[in-house]
Amino acid sequence: MIEFQNVSKVYQGDVKAIDDINMTVNDGEFVILLGPSGCGKTTLLRMVNVLESITEGDIRVQGKSSKELNPIELRRNIGYVIQSNGLFPNMTIEDNTMIVPDLLGWDRKKKRNRFNYLMDLVGLNPDDYRKRFPHELSGGQQQRIGVIRAMASDPPVMLMDEPFGALDPIIRHRIQDEFLAIQQEVKKTILFVSHDIDEAIRMGDRIALIREGKIMQYDTPTEILTHPKNEFVSEFVGQDRVLKSMSLYSVQDLVDAFNLESSKQEVADTKMIHSDTSLRVAISMLLNQEADQIVIVDQQDNQLGSLTLNLIEKFLHREVKGKER
Amino acid sequence: MFTISQLFNYIQSDLGNIITYTIEHAQLVGLAILIAIIIGVPLGIYLTTNEELAETILQIASIFITIPSIALFGIMIPILSNIGQGIGFLPALIALVLYSQLPIIRNTYTAINNVDPNIRDAAKGIGMTNFQRLIKVEIPIGMPLIMAGVRTATVLNIGIGAIAAFIGSGGLGVLINSGISRGNTNMVMTGAIFVSILALIADFLLKWIQKKATPKGIQ
Ligand SMILES: Nc1ncnc2c1ncn2[C@@H]1O[C@H](COP(=O)(O)OP(=O)(O)O)[C@@H](O)[C@H]1O
Ligand SMILES: [Mg+2]
Repeated sequence: MIEFQNVSKVYQGDVKAIDDINMTVNDGEFVILLGPSGCGKTTLLRMVNVLESITEGDIRVQGKSSKELNPIELRRNIGYVIQSNGLFPNMTIEDNTMIVPDLLGWDRKKKRNRFNYLMDLVGLNPDDYRKRFPHELSGGQQQRIGVIRAMASDPPVMLMDEPFGALDPIIRHRIQDEFLAIQQEVKKTILFVSHDIDEAIRMGDRIALIREGKIMQYDTPTEILTHPKNEFVSEFVGQDRVLKSMSLYSVQDLVDAFNLESSKQEVADTKMIHSDTSLRVAISMLLNQEADQIVIVDQQDNQLGSLTLNLIEKFLHREVKGKER
Repeated sequence: MFTISQLFNYIQSDLGNIITYTIEHAQLVGLAILIAIIIGVPLGIYLTTNEELAETILQIASIFITIPSIALFGIMIPILSNIGQGIGFLPALIALVLYSQLPIIRNTYTAINNVDPNIRDAAKGIGMTNFQRLIKVEIPIGMPLIMAGVRTATVLNIGIGAIAAFIGSGGLGVLINSGISRGNTNMVMTGAIFVSILALIADFLLKWIQKKATPKGIQ
């Protein structure tokens, strides 16, 4: 757990980078710090592992104030990933990955097992890469190594500063998915900086939207998209926020909302859509298709009724607009 | 008249002495470089933590290197005479150590300062102490530049070491000096040739050490 209590940061020259922030990141939660460039995301992140001093307030990690702890010890218990990966060019991939266990004095065998395990986790063959150097890897591979290096000593908390920001969109998407799958398994407490709303929606359990050092809204992606608290939030998430929010719902949610019944009748010549498809894709299919309805099927190919733009609009009204205050 | 065959005859006839001078020369320069590294590398590293002092020290070292070596020896004779060492090995050694400081300090300072800030940041964020960061990351990454400074200093010292013969430090300068005073071109030539050979061997050796000392990942 990470708790920010009235945290402020003033750089020399009177730049107030962080202005009285209060927020809590729960155990196993994946929280995105989102906001425009220069709003203070990196500063807030780096105060957690004391790479930046805290001007006012307190940050508690796993219940302990960073003021009470030796910064070196503290940092060894917090994974840290940066955009430029920060791999050490003079060390092999294995030495890079195992640097924290090395500092902690793990024995050779334990380090080797851990390296093999982590490499498997990110789909890289440990023996192929063990003796290679960072410059011999692609950008995506380097960033995977950067991520597993941060996980090496299995720290409960991870800080990630735009870790995938420098990758091209296809690779970025793939690594995001990979990392989400890993997170499902390891359940770290993660603070993750991003300036990309789509990344934030895809990855975060909750999003803290920041502007000029202040939190504008701290909520789940759905809430941020469907109930932006103020002008800034709705502008930041964009005009297409409703459409974006559709990627957070599946066709199944719509089936549940309207209690659509399953049946076994055969309908020839119609398009089918699986109930686990996102509503955003479903809308796109409907708009693309000549047909004005698609048959929804579940995993066992039972038909659950038909999907129309009309139905989605009704759902939208109930789920999104209906909750608006 | 000077001919190549006469030169070879001279070298053959006086080979024992020539080799002794060469070894003296190498010892003087080798010891000076060793001391210069022990002083200059830590100083260069320390200066990366103190910008203002760095500027001052580098300035002083640059001025120092422009002082003609003969003048420096002249200055040192009266000073070191106080401890009875006005001429000989010691003043020569001190002069060579001083001349080595600029390339060694400057290159070390630059090497450590040039380490990618992101890499330094990652090292800090991971929980390395300043010392661990220096030993495991910054010095290995800076090694090629640090070694380049050592090589420059060495070649420079081999040349200046020849002039140090004027104050009785021995070495290949002896051949050159007595050759000049006796009008013996063969002796002068031999001295010059062996100084060059020594410089080439030293540079080759240091290149080899540099290659061994530089981590594979950054070669
Ligand atoms: N070391 C520093 N010294 C002075 N000002 C800084 C420093 N680092 C960041 N700032 C300022 O603090 C503000 C927040 O920066 P930062 O946390 O890097 O923002 P973000 O990561 O959201 O882009 C900016 O106005 C930036 O110029
Ligand atoms: Mg930033």
